[in-house]
Amino acid sequence: MAAALEAIGLRKRFGALQAANDVTLSVDAGEIRGLIGPNGAGKTTLVNLVTGVYRPDAGEVKLAGQSIGGLAMHEIARRGLVRSFQVTRLFGGLTVRENLLTAFYARRPSANDDGEAQAERMIRLTTLGPLADTQAKKLSGGQRALLQMGCGFMVPGSCYVLDEPFAGINPVIKEVILDMIVEMNREQGAAFLVVSHEMAIIRKLCPQVTVMMEGRVAAQGTLDEVARLPAVVAGYLGKALE
Amino acid sequence: MYSTELVVQTFISGIMIGVLYALMALGITFIYSIMRMINWAMGEFYMIGSYLQYMLVAWLLGPDLWWLAIVVSTAGVFVLGLLTQWSLLKPIFKKPPEARDDYATVVTLALLLMLRSLATGIAGPNQFTPGSNLPIVMVGPMPLAGARVAAFVFALVALAAFWAVLRYTWYGLALRAASQSRVGVQTAGIDVLRVDRVAFGIGVALAGLAGALLAPVFLVFPTNGLITTVKGFEIVVIGGLGSIPGALIAGVLLGLIESFGAAFVDSAYQNIYGFALVLLVLVLKPTGLFGERGREA
Repeated sequence: MAAALEAIGLRKRFGALQAANDVTLSVDAGEIRGLIGPNGAGKTTLVNLVTGVYRPDAGEVKLAGQSIGGLAMHEIARRGLVRSFQVTRLFGGLTVRENLLTAFYARRPSANDDGEAQAERMIRLTTLGPLADTQAKKLSGGQRALLQMGCGFMVPGSCYVLDEPFAGINPVIKEVILDMIVEMNREQGAAFLVVSHEMAIIRKLCPQVTVMMEGRVAAQGTLDEVARLPAVVAGYLGKALE
Repeated sequence: MYSTELVVQTFISGIMIGVLYALMALGITFIYSIMRMINWAMGEFYMIGSYLQYMLVAWLLGPDLWWLAIVVSTAGVFVLGLLTQWSLLKPIFKKPPEARDDYATVVTLALLLMLRSLATGIAGPNQFTPGSNLPIVMVGPMPLAGARVAAFVFALVALAAFWAVLRYTWYGLALRAASQSRVGVQTAGIDVLRVDRVAFGIGVALAGLAGALLAPVFLVFPTNGLITTVKGFEIVVIGGLGSIPGALIAGVLLGLIESFGAAFVDSAYQNIYGFALVLLVLVLKPTGLFGERGREA
């Protein structure tokens, strides 16, 4: 079976900075893989390369075995690769429910009425019930992260790329997001690539992690394996992970 | 002093013309809110709407079918808008966003000059007026020109339809979402360039509709879009760029101020009262009545 998501030899240069330097990484079907690395290691660049925000200078991206290189962002999303942003990109003037419905119809425009039902379900799952008709710009940071997660899950995707879904979020909401990821993974068999600095969560969620440093893949393996590697410890400025 | 009747009549005519100005402003603000660019050729789409209306009434449909001519003219301008986005704007928007609105400014200014010259070249510097056989309408004791009343009613219907599409249809939701975050809609799986096309079509169709409706009142000639465009921009500044309620309320406000200024101060300065209001708003609230200082990305 083909991997859910494959990046093969991706390169991207911004001026003098080689932000992605021959990055090869694969997320198997049904896998939840962690992507860690110090700030500036190129994690978000990689996310932007696989989701079509940037065109790679070289290399290839495959979704379920099919090349998605050169496709526009919305085409990639329609093929089932769903991403979340570190800084949430919600529709501030629309309500929570409208945000969810937009995500639903965007990927399934010829739908029957089950958008409303799915929105109800997601409002329950995200625990945003009392805020369903509140404008998204009035939500707290954690609630926005929840809503963004809910939008991603409105239409089941085959692979999710989550950029820092837990950054700066209170522990209760972290748990809710964690549960949503686990449930989507179990229920739909969706694959996940989770970028995060939260080692405790990564340990819980991801059997395997990929470490990026200075635009390259520095190591792969379980979190405990990679945490012992001298290069990784050095890359985190001499700090042991955690 | 002044009679109550004069005040009431001034009020009514102010609101009636204000709603038509608002159409123009709504078009400008709607295109801006989604594409983040100003369409400087707005007045030329107004002009094309008025010429289409004249040609349809004079040559094809006759004055009795003026309402059908309005619908066809508006639809024609809508299609022209789709073609303009597809041929001139989409190539700019495919590129990364740096200086995108600068390019759009140059392109739409060039379009303005081209369309205006084209109209002069084809139809000459003449003024035309589509015949109107609408009777005078009495509102209470006040006589009102039939063409103006018809334009007002038509504009209200169009505004209601515009609002209903935005509020109740899936495409309206996509348009509203795109106005909040262009990156967001693309991530969700919406082709933002297609949304642009529809938005540009609707925006210029609003100008074309205003042109067709006002053709019997303000006449048809190559530069007839100029004054209404200036008013459209005044309204956008007063109401706040990107705000749809702002465009409607400021449109009516401008209509009222002009109307009262002309009736009770001096009609020679009719076009100046709006500027006075613009200056006042800029002093008191620089973002306009309903404008937001910044927007979330």
